[in-house]
Amino acid sequence: MPRPFLQPARISTIALLLAGVVLFGAVAPLHWEALSGAQLGVAERAFFLPPPEALRVASLGFNNVAADVIWLLTIQYIGAHIFTDAKLPELFQMVDTVVTLDPHFVEAYTLGALFMNYSGGNVRGAIALLERGTRANPTRWEPAHDLARTYYLDLKDYRQALHWFEVTDRLPGRPHYVPRFIARLYAATGHRETALGLWRAMRDSAGSDWVREIAEREIAKLERPAAPSPPQEAR
Amino acid sequence: MKISAIALNTFREAVRDRILYSILAFALLLIGASAILASLSIGQEGRIVKDLGLASSSLFGTFIAIFLGIGLVFKEIERRTIYAIIAKPIHRFEFLLGKYIGLVLTLLVTVGVMALLVAGLAWAIDGHWTSDLLGAAALDFLALMIVTAVALLFSTFSTPTLSAIFTLAVFVIGRLSGDLKLFADQFAGPGLRLIINGMYMVLPDLSRFQIGAQIVNALPLDPAQIAWTVMYGLAYILMLLLLAIGIFQRRDFK
Repeated sequence: MPRPFLQPARISTIALLLAGVVLFGAVAPLHWEALSGAQLGVAERAFFLPPPEALRVASLGFNNVAADVIWLLTIQYIGAHIFTDAKLPELFQMVDTVVTLDPHFVEAYTLGALFMNYSGGNVRGAIALLERGTRANPTRWEPAHDLARTYYLDLKDYRQALHWFEVTDRLPGRPHYVPRFIARLYAATGHRETALGLWRAMRDSAGSDWVREIAEREIAKLERPAAPSPPQEAR
Repeated sequence: MKISAIALNTFREAVRDRILYSILAFALLLIGASAILASLSIGQEGRIVKDLGLASSSLFGTFIAIFLGIGLVFKEIERRTIYAIIAKPIHRFEFLLGKYIGLVLTLLVTVGVMALLVAGLAWAIDGHWTSDLLGAAALDFLALMIVTAVALLFSTFSTPTLSAIFTLAVFVIGRLSGDLKLFADQFAGPGLRLIINGMYMVLPDLSRFQIGAQIVNALPLDPAQIAWTVMYGLAYILMLLLLAIGIFQRRDFK
């Protein structure tokens, strides 16, 4: 009688191999980054990123882990460019992949939009990302708040800013200063103070040096003698 | 009594198996490594540890269920110990149930160790205890019980090689069945839709048991849905065990 291929000794070898492959798969992206930095940068690899829907299937339902791995790659990509050429052309695609894999990864929307806007100069991309974040997470205040901030500070669209601050105001856990900003927007006064307040709030709650640095840079701009022009009426 | 004796014996046999410790070592290494990976994530340390930890527990638990499950009956046949067992006053269903419960007990211990490590790491990072993580691991454990029952079913009539392939296939399809059904509803023609929906009805939908994403993203859980999932899992396990017993009863060991 022929012996079966999977005998006890072989089963342990195959199980070990499979476990090894999974372990390698989890740490390989970072090793690859370290080993291939000179030949293939994160930007080039972002270009070859598979479509998010394909990744959804390939991840066998472990979508959150796939989103986390792409998020770690995204952080490396931002880190590689933020203090050098400040060009982040692949950032939208990378963050889009992350939030397609996990639509409830709120920080990917907010941090992705922040870097897209202030380091990549893509304010429209940031707005699109945050709007998607508010649709996917209607009970979270963060994307709505950041949308209000972006409309207010970057697009000077006070009507939209007011709308999104009001949306933020209705959501649980929102920052305490939101009603004050709404009042200021209705009164159409204190633009500089409002902007400074928004940036100081971001600096104080920043979870990383990168975010803090962006906030401090913008605070320094606003504290220079030439103040920006007053806002138009919100309503 | 007979079932518990066989279950305890199977448990003792499993905990002496090298495979269990090898896979567990890899799993614990990966869960530990997730804490290092997490430090690169800009404020997302807790999230990465929980995601990677729960996924490791689920995936390595599946490996244990498959690689120990496929040999449950086959080993007894290959070593010819089955003849000594069935000659004793013991029903075949008692033998099979004992084997199943023994492996499930092994899984309970290993998944428990992994889940406690993940929850402990998350506690150390977040600064607060997330008991829901243990709930997610418990529901995933039910999915592992289904995979074990599938492996046991195949091991009653097939070789370990084929059993491993079939069980792995059921696991993969089970993890993707939610997406497959969505694909069928949106894009497939009537014929393909019928096939995919038929497969969806027959094969286990393992994606139902994954609530880790909801817990990690602090989304509300629906207790009714969880209760239905638990009932679905238990019913599925019962059906698989009855099928396995039916096949094993008819097997000729002459």
